[in-house]
Amino acid sequence: MTAEIEIRNVSKHFGAMAVLEDLSLSIKAREFIVFLGPSGCGKSTLLRMIAGLETVDSGEIAINNERIDHLPPGKRGIAMVFQSYALYPHMSVRDNMAFGLENIGMSREVIDARINEAARILEMAHLLERKPGQLSGGQRQRVAIGRAIVKEPKAFLFDEPLSNLDAALRTRTRIELAQLHQRLQSTMIFVTHDQVEAMTLADRIVVMNNRRIEQIGSPMEIYERPATKFVAGFVGAPAMNFVEATVDRSAGNATVRFADGMSVRTEIASSQLTGGKHSFGIRSEDVRIVPVGQGNTDGVVDVLERLGERTLIYARLGDGQQIVGSDVGNSRVAVGHKVGLAFDGQKSHLFNETGRAWHAREA
Amino acid sequence: MSAPATSIKGRAFGDRVLLALVILLSIVMIAPVLWVIGLSLKENAELMADPNSVFHAPYTLKNYLNTIGTSSVFLWVGNSIIVSGGLTIGTLVLSSLAGYGFARLNFPGRNVLFVIVLFGLAVPEQAVLVARHQIFSILKFHNTYHGLILPGLSASFGVFLMTQYFKAIPKELDEAAMLDNASRFRIFWKVLLPLTVPAQATLGIFTFLGAWNDYLWPLISATKKDMYTLTVGMASTQTNFAQSEGIGFLMAQAVFAGAPILIVYLFFQKYIVTAVSGAAVR
Repeated sequence: MTAEIEIRNVSKHFGAMAVLEDLSLSIKAREFIVFLGPSGCGKSTLLRMIAGLETVDSGEIAINNERIDHLPPGKRGIAMVFQSYALYPHMSVRDNMAFGLENIGMSREVIDARINEAARILEMAHLLERKPGQLSGGQRQRVAIGRAIVKEPKAFLFDEPLSNLDAALRTRTRIELAQLHQRLQSTMIFVTHDQVEAMTLADRIVVMNNRRIEQIGSPMEIYERPATKFVAGFVGAPAMNFVEATVDRSAGNATVRFADGMSVRTEIASSQLTGGKHSFGIRSEDVRIVPVGQGNTDGVVDVLERLGERTLIYARLGDGQQIVGSDVGNSRVAVGHKVGLAFDGQKSHLFNETGRAWHAREA
Repeated sequence: MSAPATSIKGRAFGDRVLLALVILLSIVMIAPVLWVIGLSLKENAELMADPNSVFHAPYTLKNYLNTIGTSSVFLWVGNSIIVSGGLTIGTLVLSSLAGYGFARLNFPGRNVLFVIVLFGLAVPEQAVLVARHQIFSILKFHNTYHGLILPGLSASFGVFLMTQYFKAIPKELDEAAMLDNASRFRIFWKVLLPLTVPAQATLGIFTFLGAWNDYLWPLISATKKDMYTLTVGMASTQTNFAQSEGIGFLMAQAVFAGAPILIVYLFFQKYIVTAVSGAAVR
């Protein structure tokens, strides 16, 4: 069973404070969609509204064309995995998984069959008689997912379920979640503020900020063609470089001029740009380290971050702005060196004062 | 190197002093109990002739046989069990329900009502004794079990304790149960209430011991001998022991009277220690 979820013009206030404003979104059946955004952007509230744990002030939520925003949580046919797992501490793993099924009067045989199947999928048959307190964080995570699976819901909701795991376990569980989605082919909505989780898991990412949706798109669309300066800065590590510069629109394509008089010719048509000031944006992997004078501008190295396969170079420009560039893993550049920075004009972005973006390259 | 060695030596000395203090305190506490048991095993005439005879034979079970045969102590113990047990169960039920309500339900006037309940902690029993006596007289509640139990059910402390305990349980558990299609009562009964067992044990033990040792209200409400609780019954015996049964007999009754509370301690030792240490931490 799977679900198409339709969110239409939904708003939510807590007292005088608006949390979501006039938000609309369509989620396709079998889609793995990730709500990504900083703390307080409203992503968890939206998830909880879909679950029925928060009321909808205005607007509608429908699953498979049936309006559900007036139904209690247990009647919506969805399952949720909480950040804290929310396992019942006094019940065994088996009882935790059985509780929801007992509440709808399912027979013991069917309950046992579903629990055994979920335990097989999640490889946790040996844990069924244990209490949550006897499990590790990763095992609790599995049980929480198992408790959701046995309900065979129309949609799975995940509220930052990986944030309590250590880095290694988080990576492993992320892969397992992706495999689980492929296996179950259910609609899954996943809330996170971690852009790596979003990029690796999602069919589509919904980037949220300040009570509204900034952009909806596939991970690479979001990464390569961010709709706004916020999205460009939020997605990607390290964050996209933004340089305040003068944009020369006299030629067909815009040319960005830096404070030291050097420049880069972008692939962005000047005619597309609106008036006013612009920021030049470029990702660190599109900034190469070259000998002084041979790039688009020069800078002095502030910090080096050696990541193994590449080295991130934090260089300070003449006007004090910092740019992060990328060099080979065994880079010979050292802190204090003056280096040239070569920008890939085909991968550059421009943002106006409202944050609207223009991109050089077609997705 | 010498500093840590001195420190360890100092700590060991401190531990020994502490141990000696604990042993001394234990003796101070156990001595009266042993004294009571010793007296209960002696003939009254012998004790009258020589109070130090408690330290040497002969010992006898005659006082215990007399207690079983003639005393009302078993009736009073029974009354105390009914009153203390009833009060404990009633307090646990009402405090749990009220605590859940205050902690989890949103209703108009909740905070004001909670403050009013807390004010109950500040009102001493003596302040309402006369009015309560009058009301119970009119309702003909005196010399009944419910007359002895009802006043204790207005347990402000219990409501406060359970409210705080329910508040400390993560709301995600309620929400997970709601998504599991559980009704509100089922969430209370199957999910939250089992998690409050430590608080229930604390409250139950304190309530039971408080009710068992209560003297003032039973003295006023229970005027008939067959409705005496143990405290009132024992006190009534104490006033005339010199003329009749004697000190050995009185002490044998005291041993019988103390037995139920000892059993409670033995069974709930773990919870009592937790309750007392928890209260100390708070």
